Amino acid sequence: MSRPPQSQNSRARLAATAAALGAAVLLPVIVNRGLLEDFSRVFVLILAVLGVNLLTSTTGLISLGHGVFVGIGAFAMANLLDENIPVIVALVLATAVAGFAGMIVSLPALRVRGPYLALITLGLSVMFPPIGRRLGKITGSALGRSVEVDGFDPPDFLRLDERPHIWNYVVCLTVVAAWFLLTRNLLNSRIGRAIRATKDHEHAAAAFGINISMAKTGTFGISAAMAGTAGALQAIIDPYLNTNDYDWTLSLKLYTSAVIGGLGSLLGAVVGAVIYVGLPWLNEVLGLLDSPSLAFGLGLLVVIMVAPNGVVGLLARFKKKPRSSQDGD
Amino acid sequence: MDLFIQRCFDGLFNGAIYASLALALVMLFRATGLLNFALGEIGMVGGYTSLVMLTPAVGVSAAAAGGGGFRFPVAGTSFASRLPGHPYPVLVAIAVGVLTSALLGVLLQRLVLYRLRNRSDFVKVNATIALLLALTGLVSEVWGGAAQRYPSVFPNEPTDYVNVFGGRLRYTTLGAWAVQLFLLLLLGVLINRTKTGLAFRAITSNAEAASLMGIRVQRTLAIGWAVSCGIGALAVSLVAASTILRPGMMVTVLILAFAAATIGGLDSPKGAVVGGVIVGLTQSLVPGYTPFPSELAVVPPFLVMTILLMFRPTGLFGTSRVVRV
Repeated sequence: MSRPPQSQNSRARLAATAAALGAAVLLPVIVNRGLLEDFSRVFVLILAVLGVNLLTSTTGLISLGHGVFVGIGAFAMANLLDENIPVIVALVLATAVAGFAGMIVSLPALRVRGPYLALITLGLSVMFPPIGRRLGKITGSALGRSVEVDGFDPPDFLRLDERPHIWNYVVCLTVVAAWFLLTRNLLNSRIGRAIRATKDHEHAAAAFGINISMAKTGTFGISAAMAGTAGALQAIIDPYLNTNDYDWTLSLKLYTSAVIGGLGSLLGAVVGAVIYVGLPWLNEVLGLLDSPSLAFGLGLLVVIMVAPNGVVGLLARFKKKPRSSQDGD
Repeated sequence: MDLFIQRCFDGLFNGAIYASLALALVMLFRATGLLNFALGEIGMVGGYTSLVMLTPAVGVSAAAAGGGGFRFPVAGTSFASRLPGHPYPVLVAIAVGVLTSALLGVLLQRLVLYRLRNRSDFVKVNATIALLLALTGLVSEVWGGAAQRYPSVFPNEPTDYVNVFGGRLRYTTLGAWAVQLFLLLLLGVLINRTKTGLAFRAITSNAEAASLMGIRVQRTLAIGWAVSCGIGALAVSLVAASTILRPGMMVTVLILAFAAATIGGLDSPKGAVVGGVIVGLTQSLVPGYTPFPSELAVVPPFLVMTILLMFRPTGLFGTSRVVRV
């Protein structure tokens, strides 16, 4: 995600991306409704994991609170829809709300170094469910609330009137693809280089005139906005929300998935999302554990020990020409 | 006025718990320069082990257990009941729990953190986050998600208090603070008066040079982990006795302890205790005197910490670090 598209790999990557996109577009024709909805959920999670991935890989900050921004996005979406705001506008607004919340949270991180942000965000994700339960008008208290998605019909020329799940899928895919493009271009721009310089050497970057605070707040805001979009899309796919679903384990699993998948690459975020969905699923199928937390924790440990660049880095190692990816350290 | 005193006493009890965990965090930070996100869960393993030690196996009558109330079968008791003299008194059980956590800490240091010694702080913090998740899962896997009653070492009947300025100062609060001051003394001596304490500082500042000067880095780090994780188990027994023992309960407590340690400055034992008191008091006084809802009592200490960090990034008693660019 951070390399200029010049290497020999670029043509192969382009082909792979095109193939993946083609497969994604063809998917609604191939699979049945339930499976398609699952795919929509995975795409949405890719976005959330990508948010975490982006933040940690470009700034080195650890956020254990991105589940909160997913939650903020979801509840913002639900409440905006209550006001009969068109779905697309609500989606943008919910994204903005989550992004703004992220920028506020990141402000203390500008003053302090080290893992304080991890601590503050972990605190935030512990506090989110009880705070949410207090704000009954917004969140429906402990019982949760449903989301009224009205007037979100597919345009006529698509002929999808009877199949809203396909329309949902198309919207999710489009939004996720848009975020991918945006991230990619942003990171290859002047802003992206400034952000990476901040991680590599903060003082040197500051000496070159980069506004460190702006870089960190901005990145955190963008990554929180991504998580917010993910939450808003989730609210459309599964129109029932409960604050308890956005607890600290969600945030920890998002972070863990991002690291296991591989930081610093878009493919890593995709792998991370697959792991996020796949681990609990595998656990359920095999009937091994009561909660998949143990699996997530052990998975992260193993990745830290043997594959500093995550699963993606491990795959790259098997290639002929080792890719010069960023080290996980 | 009576109510004010009472609220202070309540806050001081929680403050003692936060202070002891904050001390454990500071201890490890002094020894390894690492913030251990898994400390609470390492303590939980010890806490549940002590529960196993003091709970009679299923089949022994509840009267012999010395307490009614709800009690789910505790995994491992039938195995532990083969030990001579099981079930043990509370104090012995807690000692066993503390030892278990200390051993677990040493084990994790050997198996995980030692292998990462040449990696960046980012990777090490990631490792403790992974341990937090894995141990949370492990504890609920082994002992189930049900809440368990946990006995108190100190007299904990409704009448066990002394009147001080019209407030009820409970024996448990006094006991918690006795434990607390003992820990402070112990750590103060360990860090400032022993060769091990000196070695902690040497290793934190430069591990390689320290080992070249003949400091046994491995053993010193093991001591740091053992003491820190042992305190973690002690804190779990205090928390569990005042509320209940259930998986995941330590995350909230731990982040408040982090807040306490941060307010105090992370590398100062004295600061950890002061931070613990501040956190405990804000937690009980702010919801008491403002319209702030009491179930959100976690929030005010965090606000205090965040605001303090903005103006004093090194905390109240922390030493500021000079980094060469």
